Amino acid sequence: MKRFAALLGKEHRAVFFSPIAYALIAVFLLLMGYTFTSILFVNKVASLAHIFFQMSALFLLMVPIIAMRLVAEERKTGTLEVLLTAPVREIEVVLAKFVASMTLIAVMLALSVSYPVVLAVYGHPDWGPVYSGYLGLLLFAGALLSIGLVVSSLTSNQIVAAVISLGIFFLLWMIDSVGYLLPDPFDTVSVNLSLLAHLSPFALGSVFLSDVGFFLSVILAGLLLSVRALARR
Amino acid sequence: MASVIVAEQLTKWYGSRLAVDRVSLEVRAGEILGLLGPNGSGKTTILRILTGYLRPSSGTVTIAGLDTVDDALAVKRRVGYVPENAPLYDGMRVREFLDLMARLKGVVGADVSTSVDEVNARLDLEQVAGRQIGTLSKGFRQRVAIAQALLGTPDILVLDEPGNGLDPRQIIELRELIRSLSGPFTVVVSSHILGEIELVADRAAILLAGHLLAIHPLRGEEARRRLRVEVRGDADRVRIRLAQVHGVGAIIAARSSRQDAAAYLLEVNGPGLAERVAAALVDGGFGLIELRDEPIDLETLFLGLTGGVPPRSAAA
Repeated sequence: MKRFAALLGKEHRAVFFSPIAYALIAVFLLLMGYTFTSILFVNKVASLAHIFFQMSALFLLMVPIIAMRLVAEERKTGTLEVLLTAPVREIEVVLAKFVASMTLIAVMLALSVSYPVVLAVYGHPDWGPVYSGYLGLLLFAGALLSIGLVVSSLTSNQIVAAVISLGIFFLLWMIDSVGYLLPDPFDTVSVNLSLLAHLSPFALGSVFLSDVGFFLSVILAGLLLSVRALARR
Repeated sequence: MASVIVAEQLTKWYGSRLAVDRVSLEVRAGEILGLLGPNGSGKTTILRILTGYLRPSSGTVTIAGLDTVDDALAVKRRVGYVPENAPLYDGMRVREFLDLMARLKGVVGADVSTSVDEVNARLDLEQVAGRQIGTLSKGFRQRVAIAQALLGTPDILVLDEPGNGLDPRQIIELRELIRSLSGPFTVVVSSHILGEIELVADRAAILLAGHLLAIHPLRGEEARRRLRVEVRGDADRVRIRLAQVHGVGAIIAARSSRQDAAAYLLEVNGPGLAERVAAALVDGGFGLIELRDEPIDLETLFLGLTGGVPPRSAAA
């Protein structure tokens, strides 16, 4: 556990000592602030459903940037060799990288809590969809991050990692839109693989065990594949 | 002396390329074994397997009886590793990096600070402890890399081309440092520079294209020696007399500086051979003109084994 704490400290340092984290946080808050204000002025409804969808779209673009360096950078600079010849397990390395990156995403989401606070001050928001929306976004971002981590574990080129992650994310985002054209049972499969289809209920205030299970399964599979990629030497 | 590292039939394939081919070697406790070979001869691959970073395609390596694949964590606790070119976290400060490595190697509490202070003092790093690693010279980077390898409880040090990119003064310092580490540590060091291995190692394992060609003792009683002897007398009788001396191997004719004498190079193995050879020749009634040590140099051996261009001579 102490080794994991040391690894987590190292990863937190790598995330939060990098200007990339602050650039991402700034862009995230700027775009979300603009969207929140615009939607509030137009709709005059104390709801964050639109904001959650906007945030998820932004995560599709931002998570590849967060995830690309996680392993690829260490592989390229050779520090992965130093790290993995210390008495640490691959799973500890992968988990530390995942948790540290999730912390950055959690910070972004925490800073956006000002939006429901504004709604509460000037209106009467339904808190259920707010809570479920944030839970859904956390799970959604976690799933993206674990996929990005796998891709980063397979290459030493950060740009390649980011581009491939982005491609996978968009494919999983829009897969259900073409799924309806496919014959049975491929249409069902493609709809069930859709990130948007599983996120939408959260944003609208419904928490289904199947959606939670989907995101947790993707996270778990991503982490296991990342461990496997690191261990395959 | 007991062998602390035992590699048996070590083979490593990278896809369809054979990097290491059935290499077997043993490293004794407290000695310095040098891996010598040109670039691409499999040195780094062997070292990475010894440290548990790579899995062999076939064959086994045990470190103090622990298998590097099945007991990887236990092996990693016993091995300190300095990879080639000293890859380090450039954004970290030296002290911060060493603190991290100490914690990863299982050092806890106040011992972290104590052990980091110790390696800082041993490697003369106090003056740069607060500096960012990315701003250090190559010499200091190499020292930081060695310092992290000494943290924890290793008794084996593995250094991959530690002299790369260092200036002559830094190479001399590094050589002295490595020699000072032998004894408490078993050291395996690789280099493509022949002179570096010759000056630092107790034995040299010579590699070429993934094959182990020979393990050559460089120091101690095992180190093979040659005696050069100049003798006056019938050549055949001299040879017969020399061959009767226990411990004398090959007898090779050499060029003599005198017309009335013949010179021979004797491959000898064992203590007190010079006295025995001298006594045998004098007792046989031959005129002993000269008898002296003629050490076998690694370059000659390397050329003989590889039949090719030797690795570079030492830069310093």
